[in-house]
Amino acid sequence: MTAITRTTGSATRRRKTVERDPLQRIVTRRSERVVIYVLLILMAAVFAMPLYSGIVKSLGVNGIGNYIALLTQPIGNVSIWATYGNSLLIGLFHALLVLVVSATAGYAFSRLEFPGREVTFSAVLLFLAVPGIAILVPVYSITQQAGLFNTHIGVALPEAALTIPFGVLLLRNYGRNIPMALTEAAHLDGAGHFRVFWHIFLPLSRPALANLTVLCFIWSLQDFLWPAFIFTDPSMATAAQAVQTFSNALGQSPSELAMYNASLILLAVPAVLFVLFGMRLIVNGLVAGGTKE
Amino acid sequence: MTATKRMTAAKRHRPVRRRSDWKVALIFLVPLIVMYAIYFVYSTGFLARTSFTKVSITFFNAVDVGWENYRLLLGDPVFLRSILNNLVFAGISIVAALTIGFFIAVALSTGVRAKRVFYVLFLLPVLMPLSLLATLFNSMLQQRYGVLNTTLEALGLGALAQPWLTDPGLAFGVVSVIFCFLIGLPILYYTADLAALPTESLEAALLDGAGPFRIMRSVIYPMMTSTHLTVILSLLLGSFRALEVVLFSTQGGPGDTTEIVGSYLYGWSTSAGPTVGFVAAASIVVLIIALVISLVQMVITRPRKGRK
Repeated sequence: MTAITRTTGSATRRRKTVERDPLQRIVTRRSERVVIYVLLILMAAVFAMPLYSGIVKSLGVNGIGNYIALLTQPIGNVSIWATYGNSLLIGLFHALLVLVVSATAGYAFSRLEFPGREVTFSAVLLFLAVPGIAILVPVYSITQQAGLFNTHIGVALPEAALTIPFGVLLLRNYGRNIPMALTEAAHLDGAGHFRVFWHIFLPLSRPALANLTVLCFIWSLQDFLWPAFIFTDPSMATAAQAVQTFSNALGQSPSELAMYNASLILLAVPAVLFVLFGMRLIVNGLVAGGTKE
Repeated sequence: MTATKRMTAAKRHRPVRRRSDWKVALIFLVPLIVMYAIYFVYSTGFLARTSFTKVSITFFNAVDVGWENYRLLLGDPVFLRSILNNLVFAGISIVAALTIGFFIAVALSTGVRAKRVFYVLFLLPVLMPLSLLATLFNSMLQQRYGVLNTTLEALGLGALAQPWLTDPGLAFGVVSVIFCFLIGLPILYYTADLAALPTESLEAALLDGAGPFRIMRSVIYPMMTSTHLTVILSLLLGSFRALEVVLFSTQGGPGDTTEIVGSYLYGWSTSAGPTVGFVAAASIVVLIIALVISLVQMVITRPRKGRK
């Protein structure tokens, strides 16, 4: 992950890392450098193809007018702004739930001694891989009993349940790297665990909590499954869901297809913004969660 | 913090450590316990109970049918096929990650320009809604007005234009390709571990005058076995969650040729009638598969503990 943050460094820092990092010296010949660039650009072009083709198609008929229309009037009763709003609101609840549970559990697993700690932690991790669709039936019933259909919290709850194992892993790993001496000193001064948690653990874990928050937003933005089942009211559609809503609302004529593609591009905008501005947080979070210490 | 520092801190800590903080721990674990109790423990029990009944989504008037749902499920060639497809698609994306993904990560670590732009491009597909990515593919590959075919025709290569989404073989290829677009995460894992690579053997290879591609293949690649494992398992597990990939590109078709576990379950979940018991049975089977892979992952990746 340092390799990525390094890009922002100044020229002098760059020179220094080149000397230290042998990886930056493995390409010596000009021809090899060219080959690497050609391959990278080729692959980047392939990866950009779907978005590029969407943009081309969206401008085919009516040009930029499609975008203006989408931003100013709803399609099939769904305004694109509302889909952004819904996704963000769900993301907010999702993040809050995950932060509370992960921070408290992360503290317990990293800073407290209790019998069966490692076994319990392993049991928690076992659920890292649960596919959402596999708990659809019970979640449907729970949502019904709690009367949470067509509410943002109703979608955020199952999303949070599936993110929590990851969040606990992240915070526990992070907590283990906070020097024991810090909390030790506080304990000697008579501070209890709740004060240590609030005044030392939480502030020091801020980077991990930030990573987790951004990831929660991204995952809410991506989630299609839970809104699809829990939002029965089409006007509640989230960005990921609107892909379907718009497809049903718009026909197959060339102008409507162009409009549809423009809507797809607009629905990608929040993700693009998150990646552009939250790249470091996303990368750090994903990498820290992927390598189970 | 370095390992030695951490060790001394731990040593210093031990003598004054209180006996056991299990009461405090319990309080701190309450939120976690509540969420797990509802969404995993209760849910699994609910699934198990429902899987032996014939019932609709209203959950009223459940009829006990014993193992009938499981019999139906395991006798359904489409379900077995969806598992197989799932594994094949995961396998293809794993191959892509271990080759292309690995190359991209190393290449981007050798000090190329505009690195950020490259990262954004490679990460976007896996960080935008999957429903959107798959829909963009679907739109691009439409037989009549899709960008790919119209471009081919414009280039005078109209003979190469294909019914990408309606020919079974081609549709299978399309879904495979979309899965290969999801290797952003592996690229990140490789990048992170490349930064922590021991430098001695690299230096030695450099002194020997080995070229970059040689070094990638013969020096760096074998040194990253634990990363390869992380990549393999994370893609395998991810594939069980990626129902949108199929749902929004081929819808499992033509026929059932591109169905995966997620889209199979989704299809039955959205169908009307007393199919919920059957869905529950399928969910139990999928849960078991996911938990087993998870368990394997835990056992295999345990040595990492010592390394970091």
